[in-house]
Amino acid sequence: MAKLARWVLAAAVVAAATGCAPGGAPADGNITLNVWGWRTEDVAAYNKIFERYEKNHPGVNVEYRAFKNTEYNTILLTGLAGDAGPDLAQLRAYGELQPSIASGGLLALDGQIEALKSFPSSTLDGVRSKDDGKVYGVPFAIQTMHVIYNKKLFAAHAIAPPATWQDMTAGADTLQSAGVTPFAVTVRDDWMLPIEHEIFGAGRYGGPDFRERLLRGNAKFTDPDYVASIELYAGTTKYWQPKFSGVGYDDAKALFASGKAAMFPGGVWELAEFRRAVPDIEMGIFNVPPPPDAKVNKTLTPGFVDGSFGVSSRTPRQAQALELARWMASAEFGQAFSDELTQISAVPGTTPTDPLLKQAFEGFRANPGPYLMYGDFGYGTPSGAELLRAGLADVLLGRKSAADVASGLQRGVEQWFRPRG
Amino acid sequence: MSRRVCSAVSSSGSGLVAKRGAGSSGRVGWTAFFCGPAALLYTVFVVVPLVTALWYSIFSWRGTTQGPLSGLDNYATVLTAYPYQDQLLRAFGHNGVFFVGTMLVQNTVGLALALLLHRAPLGRRLFQTLYSLPYLISPLVVGYLWSMLLSPSFGPVNAVLEAVGLDALARPWLGDPGTALPVVVLVNAWQWVGGPMLIFGAALAAVPAELEESARIDGASAWKTFWTVRFPLILPTVGVVTLLTFIGTFNVFDLVFALGGSSGGPGQAMDVLGLLFYRLAFQGGVNAIGLSSALAMLMFVFVFGISLLVDRMLRRREVNP
Repeated sequence: MAKLARWVLAAAVVAAATGCAPGGAPADGNITLNVWGWRTEDVAAYNKIFERYEKNHPGVNVEYRAFKNTEYNTILLTGLAGDAGPDLAQLRAYGELQPSIASGGLLALDGQIEALKSFPSSTLDGVRSKDDGKVYGVPFAIQTMHVIYNKKLFAAHAIAPPATWQDMTAGADTLQSAGVTPFAVTVRDDWMLPIEHEIFGAGRYGGPDFRERLLRGNAKFTDPDYVASIELYAGTTKYWQPKFSGVGYDDAKALFASGKAAMFPGGVWELAEFRRAVPDIEMGIFNVPPPPDAKVNKTLTPGFVDGSFGVSSRTPRQAQALELARWMASAEFGQAFSDELTQISAVPGTTPTDPLLKQAFEGFRANPGPYLMYGDFGYGTPSGAELLRAGLADVLLGRKSAADVASGLQRGVEQWFRPRG
Repeated sequence: MSRRVCSAVSSSGSGLVAKRGAGSSGRVGWTAFFCGPAALLYTVFVVVPLVTALWYSIFSWRGTTQGPLSGLDNYATVLTAYPYQDQLLRAFGHNGVFFVGTMLVQNTVGLALALLLHRAPLGRRLFQTLYSLPYLISPLVVGYLWSMLLSPSFGPVNAVLEAVGLDALARPWLGDPGTALPVVVLVNAWQWVGGPMLIFGAALAAVPAELEESARIDGASAWKTFWTVRFPLILPTVGVVTLLTFIGTFNVFDLVFALGGSSGGPGQAMDVLGLLFYRLAFQGGVNAIGLSSALAMLMFVFVFGISLLVDRMLRRREVNP
C-alpha cells in the first residue's frame, strides 16, 4: 500500500511539475537532462550557465526546473522514488540530505568524479551519508555569515568596521545616541536565531575547537563557555530595534535596507537581496571580533555548505548525468556559478569576482567558524537547530536562562547524537 | 447523511421493484447504482488517506522507504520524547485556548450581530455582506496582512496608537507571548465572524414569531425573551456551530503559520497541533513520515471522539417548538 501511494504521489507531483513532458531521448537523438532545484529566482541564471555545457556537448539539453523552496524536499523525495524524477537534483546538505540518501534515490559519487578529491574534506562532510560515509553530491556553494553594514551610515557617524569587540559596541553606542538603530534583527522568524548566535557567539564558545571537542565527546553544550556565548548574544539586544520580539525577517531586512538600521547580522545570501531591494545601497561586511573572554582570539567567519548536485540512481541517462556532474565539479562551472549567481562557489580554485563575496570567502578560508546546528547537530530528531531556535527565543523573551537552554539543547541532541569516541 | 439518502433510495427502489415484481437483487442493484459513486469518492478521498496514515504510523521510515514494523514506537516518541512531549502538551493547550477564545469572541459576536440584524428593516443584506467579506480571503493572506498591520517597525496599528498618545499600548503584538494567542483569536474572529452570524441569522428566522409575541405580551424583557424563547430554540444551531468551531480550531494551520511561522512565533506562544505536525512532517528527519502520521492519527482520534461526544450531549438538550 505504501508503495502504491508513493507511486501515485510521485506520478501526480511529476505530472504537475513537468506538464507530463518527460525528459530523455526524443526522435532527433538529442537528450534532455532534467535538473531539479529549489531556486525559482535563479532559473534564468542556471539556464545561462548550462548553455556553456550544451555548447561543448552537442545533442545534450540541460533543463533546470525549480520548485517552491518550502515544498522542494517533499517533491524531490517523491520524484526520486519514481521513474519520472530528475536526472540530477539540487540537494540540501548535512542532516537535510539524509532522507534523500536513505530513500535510495541517489547515486554514490565516490570513484565516479575524480575532481571531488580536490574538495576540502570539511566541504565534502556536508554531502556525505551518515550511514555509509559516501559522497552523494557535488557541493555547489558555501554560505558565510557576517554583519552587513550600511557604508553611508557608518561614514556619516565616523564609524569604521570594528577591529575589536569594544570598537563594535562603541560604534553601536554612537549610532544609538544619534537615533539610528545599530542592529536590525529578527526574533519572530526564529530560524534566524541560531545564525545570529553563531555570528555573535562563535568566538566566545570556541568555534572550530569547541566543535571538535563536542564531536569527540569531550565537551557539552552545558559547558560554561557555550552558556556564556548565549548570554553574550542575548546581551546585544540593547542595540536591537525597539520591540524586537515582534519583528519578522522581512521587517528586519526592510529596516536595514531603508537606512533605519545600520547593521544586519545575517548570511552572505542577503547581499543580493538587499541590492535587489535598493540597487544603490552601499554595503560592507565584517565579522564580529573576539568578545571579552573569547576562547578564540581570531575573528571567525562562520560558514557552511549550502547544498550539492546529485545524480538520481533511477535515471536511465546515468552516463550523461554523471558527465554533467563531473562538469559541475570543474573550475569552469564554479566560476560561472559564482559570476552568474553572485555566490561563493564550493569548487576549489574559483574566486568570486564580487568584492564583498571575495572578502567573505577569504575570511572563511582564513578562519572558518562552524554552523553547529545546521551541520553536525542537524542529523537527528529533534535537531539542534529546532531546539536552539526555540531556546534562544525564550532567552530573548526573558523566559529562560542561558543555562536552561543549553541544558535543553544537550538533553535533546543526546537522544541521537553519538560522539566519535 | 449519505446513509439516510441511501436508505431513502433503497426504500423507494423497493417500491419500484415490488411493482415490477422483481426480487431483492433489484433492490441491491438500485442501492449500488445510487450509492456507489458517493461511496467510491468517500473511500478514495477519506477512508484511504486515513487508513494510509494509520498504516504509515506503525512503521519506521527512512525517507520515503518503508522500514520495519515499529508498532507503537512512533506514538511513544511523539507522546514521550523530549521536546515533543512538552510541545504536544503546549500545542494542545493552545488549541484549547483557541477554541474557547473563538467561542467567546467569534461566536458570541456572531450571535450578537445576528440578533441585531434579525428582522432589521434596513441594511440587513448590506451588513451581512460586509461582515462576511473577509470570508472570501485565504487565511494565509489574512495572516500575512495582519502580520504587516501589527508589525512593530512598520505596522499602522502601533503607529496609530503612538500618534494618539497611547504609546503604552503599542507593543510587539505577535512577538509578546502574552498577546500573541489572543491576537490569533481576534484575527480569526475578524475573518470568520460572518459565518456564525449567517447561521444564527437563519436559525433566528426559523423561530416562530408568535412565540416571541406571546413572551412580549406576557411582559418578558428582550433579555428574558432571548434566554427563554429564542436561545432554547436555536440550541441545535449552537451545537452545530460549536462542533464546527471545535473541529476548525483543533485543525487550524494556515492562519497561525502566516502569523507565527512553523514554530508558532517567539516562545512558541502560538504553537498548535497543526504546526507541530508540519514540523514533524517537513523537519522531522529520516523518520518524518512515521512520526507525523502518528501525530495525525492522534489528532484525528481526539477530534473525532470529542465531536461524537459533544454531538450526543447537544442532541439531548435540543428543544423543539
